[in-house]
Order: sequence, then C-alpha cells, then structure tokens
Amino acid sequence: MKSPFLYLGVVGIVVFFGLLFVRSAVQPASFSGSQIDPPVPAADFTLTDQNGEAFRLSDHRGKPALVFFGYTNCPDVCPITLANYKNIRGEMGDQVNLIFITVDPERDTQEQIRQHLGKFDAAIIGLTGTRAELEPVWKDYGVFQSSHGGGGVEHYDVDHSSRVYAIDAEGNWRLTFLIETDWQSIVKDLRQIMN
Amino acid sequence: MNKLELGPYLTRLVIITIISIAVVAAVNEGAYLLQKEKTDRLPQTIQLVIPAGTAERVAAGEETPSIPEKMIFVTSDVLLVKNEDSSAHQLGPIWVPAGASGKLELAEPNKYSYSCSFTSARYFGLDVRQPTTLGTRLTALGIAVPPTVVFLFIYGSLVFPIKPKGKPAGGAVA
Repeated sequence: MKSPFLYLGVVGIVVFFGLLFVRSAVQPASFSGSQIDPPVPAADFTLTDQNGEAFRLSDHRGKPALVFFGYTNCPDVCPITLANYKNIRGEMGDQVNLIFITVDPERDTQEQIRQHLGKFDAAIIGLTGTRAELEPVWKDYGVFQSSHGGGGVEHYDVDHSSRVYAIDAEGNWRLTFLIETDWQSIVKDLRQIMN
Repeated sequence: MNKLELGPYLTRLVIITIISIAVVAAVNEGAYLLQKEKTDRLPQTIQLVIPAGTAERVAAGEETPSIPEKMIFVTSDVLLVKNEDSSAHQLGPIWVPAGASGKLELAEPNKYSYSCSFTSARYFGLDVRQPTTLGTRLTALGIAVPPTVVFLFIYGSLVFPIKPKGKPAGGAVA
C-alpha cells in the first residue's frame, strides 16, 4: 500500500511549481507609451493637407489617429517616424489616421509635403499652414521647435520635439510615444485603446 | 530477474524535495533579511503634482516647490504626473496636457536622465531598481530547489543506498 504521505507530497510539489508558472505567465496588460489618464479631449485644429484641402481634426473621429510634428528636410527623427507610419499602415490599414504636421512652414509647401510623404506612403496626411496658423497647434501639443545654423534662407535645420501623440476614436488624447518606441509596440497599444 | 520497485525511490524523492524546499527557503529568507533595502517593496503608484504657476516660476529661474530632481523607484512602479498648471508639461516620455494627468509604468531597472519642463534644472533623474519581493524570492526558490533535489538525491543514493525488499543486509544467504 502506498503511503498517503507520498501522494500528498507529490500533489504539494506539483501545486507549488504550478503556482510559480502561473504567476510568471500571467502579467497585467500595460502600454508601451505614456498614458494620459483619464483621457482628455485633444486640442482641435484646422490646417491644410498636401492636396490643398482643409483638414479639421474633429471631422475625422471614428478611428484613432497618430499625430507627429516634423519637417521634410529633417535628416533623422522624421524619416524614422514616417517609416514607422508606413509599417503601422501596413499592419493596420485604414484603421488609423496617420498625421504629419510641419514645424517648418516656410519650406514645407503642400507640393513639397506631397512629394516627401509619397516616398513613404501617400495615405499619410501631411498638414501645413502659415506660421500664425501653426503656432497655436504647436503650443497646444507642447511642441518645441527652433531653427538654427545654415548658410542662407534655404539651408537650416529645425530642432523639434519628436513625440508621437495617439488620439482615440472619440477625439481624446490617450498616449504619447517617444521616437525610440518601435512600431510594433505602437500597433499593440493602438489595438488596446481600440478595444 | 528482480523487478525494480519505484516506491522507496519516490518516497525518498518526495522527502528530499520537501527538505530541499525548507533548506533553500531558510537560506533565501536569511539572506533577504540581512540585505533588505527600502526599495524591496511591492510596486506602487507614485504621484508628482505640478502646481499651478510652475511654468512661470521655471521661466523666471525660480525653484519649483515640492518637486525633487531625483527619485528612486522600483520596477513596475507607476509614475503619475498630475498637472495643475495652465501649460502642458513633460517629463521625458510623459507628456501631460494642462489640467490632466499622465502616467508611465517603469518597466526596466535603469538610471534615466530625462529632460523635464517643471524643474528649474530642466532635468529629472529616475533611478529604477529591481526590488526583492515575495515573487522574486519564490522565483529564486523555484530555480534553486530542483538542482538541490538532484544533488541530495544522488548523494543520498550513494551514501545510503536503498536496499531491495526481502534481501538481507550484506547479501549473504545461508
């Protein structure tokens, strides 16, 4: 006859290691981006897209949007972000609006923006306007921008913040991402806010 | 040919496993109690409040009250920044519109230096440490117990071999 002590010991050991496994496997859902919690309505704006049409943010509710501020002559962070946009669109298709807003309105004309975004994905919405139209948008989104250097009017760089803002389908600010955030993590976060 | 009886081996294995868990747990907890630090705690939500008028004070080069320039956290802490100012503020990855709150889970242990819009130094240091919690101690137990069991089982089998039932000690039969 087998000892009940034996069975009890085996069951105890299995339960102990089972609990350890479950504890390591079950992790609460979390976001890669920084959350705005509770969500607050995103500042609305009306600018001009690369096709010359007026674009009002609040007219495009119903699906989430990503908003990024950059410029077409940017040598580093903007191409990286636009490449991420392209990958996100490849994964999510039309489920998300991808918006690019210039911090360099003097050089970023509608035509310049259309040509530049066409190198990445023509579905990316590129917005420009006069400096007077853009400054309140930069302020509302806490965007830093400063031109420097150069050998003439056409040759300068613009230092600017590189944050990406995620706005949910109801028009609320929900998340922000740094340039280091990979596009897969952004897709994962977007799907979480969509659900 | 004698049939190998597993019962005594299983009984020994169970006893050795229980002894191993007890010994490893005692060593673990002893080391933990001797080396315990303030950051050995469960993750918490830690709130920073940006008071109204902070942007003006920072622009004027004045000190911002109640906001330290360096803090120590543990992994999985949530840093919650409540912005009571009339301007948006940022702390590294966290951006907080005026009158709203932003939060970030500190997932990885590291020392971070972030640009910060609400301290006069324009800098905020985050020291994120890995805490020793009940979970990490249990994980250590889970890692250490199996090799201890194997070692003790082999050692026990060599020093105190299990004798087959019905076979007299010494093996001599009259």
